[in-house]
Amino acid sequence: MKIKEFSAYLPRPATLKVKKELSELVTLFEFENDSGRPLMHKPGQFIMLSVYGVGEAPFSVSSAPIRESNNFELAVRKIGAVTGIMHDLKVGDKVGIRGPYGSFFPIQKFVGQDTLFIAGGLGYIPLRSLLHYQLKHRDEFGRIILLVGTRNPKERIFIDQLAELASGKDVEVLETVDVPDETWKGHCGVITTLIPKVRIDPDKTNVAMVGPPIMYKFCLGECLKIGIPSNRIYVSLERKMKCGLGKCGHCQINHLNACIEGPVFQYNQIESVEEAI
Amino acid sequence: MTAYTVYLEQLHAMLAAWSKEHQVYVPTAVEGGYFDFKPWREGVEIAFDYDLAYNTLKRYFLPPKEDLVVFDLAAKTAEMVFDAPKQLLFGVHPYDIRGINQLDQIMETGAPDQYYLHRRDATVVFGLTPMRVAETAFWSSMGAGEVDRGFDLFWTKTGPSTFLVEVGSMRGEKMLLAAGELTPASAGAREAARKAHLKIMEMGRSNALNFDWKQVPRLLDKCWNSPLWQKKAELCLACGSCNLVCPTCYCFDIREEADELLQKGVRFREWDGCMLTSFALVAGEHNFRAKALERYRHRYMRKGKYIYDRYGELGCIGCGRCVRACTTNIANPREVFNTLWEASQHED
Repeated sequence: MKIKEFSAYLPRPATLKVKKELSELVTLFEFENDSGRPLMHKPGQFIMLSVYGVGEAPFSVSSAPIRESNNFELAVRKIGAVTGIMHDLKVGDKVGIRGPYGSFFPIQKFVGQDTLFIAGGLGYIPLRSLLHYQLKHRDEFGRIILLVGTRNPKERIFIDQLAELASGKDVEVLETVDVPDETWKGHCGVITTLIPKVRIDPDKTNVAMVGPPIMYKFCLGECLKIGIPSNRIYVSLERKMKCGLGKCGHCQINHLNACIEGPVFQYNQIESVEEAI
Repeated sequence: MTAYTVYLEQLHAMLAAWSKEHQVYVPTAVEGGYFDFKPWREGVEIAFDYDLAYNTLKRYFLPPKEDLVVFDLAAKTAEMVFDAPKQLLFGVHPYDIRGINQLDQIMETGAPDQYYLHRRDATVVFGLTPMRVAETAFWSSMGAGEVDRGFDLFWTKTGPSTFLVEVGSMRGEKMLLAAGELTPASAGAREAARKAHLKIMEMGRSNALNFDWKQVPRLLDKCWNSPLWQKKAELCLACGSCNLVCPTCYCFDIREEADELLQKGVRFREWDGCMLTSFALVAGEHNFRAKALERYRHRYMRKGKYIYDRYGELGCIGCGRCVRACTTNIANPREVFNTLWEASQHED
């Protein structure tokens, strides 16, 4: 047979190196590729992670692309079968990975520009990859403004890192929670309410926005209201994904495959796509 | 195109010879007055005049369930598995070959689907000019009544015991001539085949799209908010029968199982359907197409527009299988497109 014996569905082995609890349900996982090669992902891309015998699920890579390291990070909420068993993994355990897959935040377009990050809930996880890349090459980028919204203080993630960023000079951080508790001294309200608070130059600011489906509708409107054109707004859309290869059909957004043309979209490309937002 | 004349009495020996290397499947009558492809063996009567195979032939390339990867759960290692039996589909109608050709394109686009391609390569396709049209079929008006590639041989019954056999590939010709030389088709025989084709195309037009199929994508462009979607979807039971029988529906789920000792595991794919409620459901219970209307409309947009935008042809070949299979009589692309077309004529 002339076809090469190759399967895009065959996972490559990776080993769990570090596991750190970020909140009651969210854990940070650091894996090392057994191949001895870096993941070679770009910010915003995702991988398919297998726990053999349980299943496979898509996860955005949360660490910055680093060629010098074979390690990469995922932050995962315990919510389904695969993510449930992932939380039982021990350091040294093996998993399988495929990818990286999908579109990404085009770093070149962010160079020399200001960036407004809008992170709703777990949306901070994929954005963190772009943010860390920018921090690593801080001189190449303009202002970095980070808006973080969480449902309640208990669900906040990367608390220490955010505090560190907030106390430094590299990033302007604004954080809010939808529903405060007695421990919360900061801003209250949905993340949309933070947008009018930032002073930005709409002609040199790119927006990178990731959050739950409901967030986009309102935050996109707010961004347009403060004068940011839709071709300067990048969103990452979550959908059900099984293959990551544009075949299984689950991630279709009208005519688009979220796993091939997405997950990162320039907003002007999906403004008229009915099922996108 | 090279063509030969083959007589019915020669066919039996050919089938027996092909069966030595291939599992041969032929159209044959099944219960309830329907037809389906079944394995050929001595005594199986081929229904040369079958109107429609009840089940889609995609199962020979994209089986309902197919293993992708096997695991050793103790060692945490994975291996790929391929299975591509040599098979021959004898008597495939042109619209079904169109369906196969479309799957070929889809599966080869981007990351080529090696599982599909292996099976496709190992499958010989012998086409057959239809002699009857199913009541629910409308392929004649969908541009799917003719096919110029995707087959190894193409058979047309030109007389009670005579076939004109056109050659579509070297593999096909070799198989045809394996038992000995055949008479090259005469001009008259070719003309008889052409007439047979024109006749069936004409018969097919009794149940037709009321407008040029090339207008379907543009029509659907304007129909996102049509009341038709809700009217139809209200009756949808989300059973997925239309997906199941559709020759161009290829969506699949990926799942896995471990043995009872948790030593070996297998990851497999299984047909899925966009009409099933859980199709776009993600962890955390968010469903991106929660409403029947959204699912129903998405399927028709796929068939009439999205596939066209990507591949230049409709995702519906007009076989009419979904019309038969639908439990509540709402699956009927011909009727849906005609109704939308009619409504669009009264606008502006």
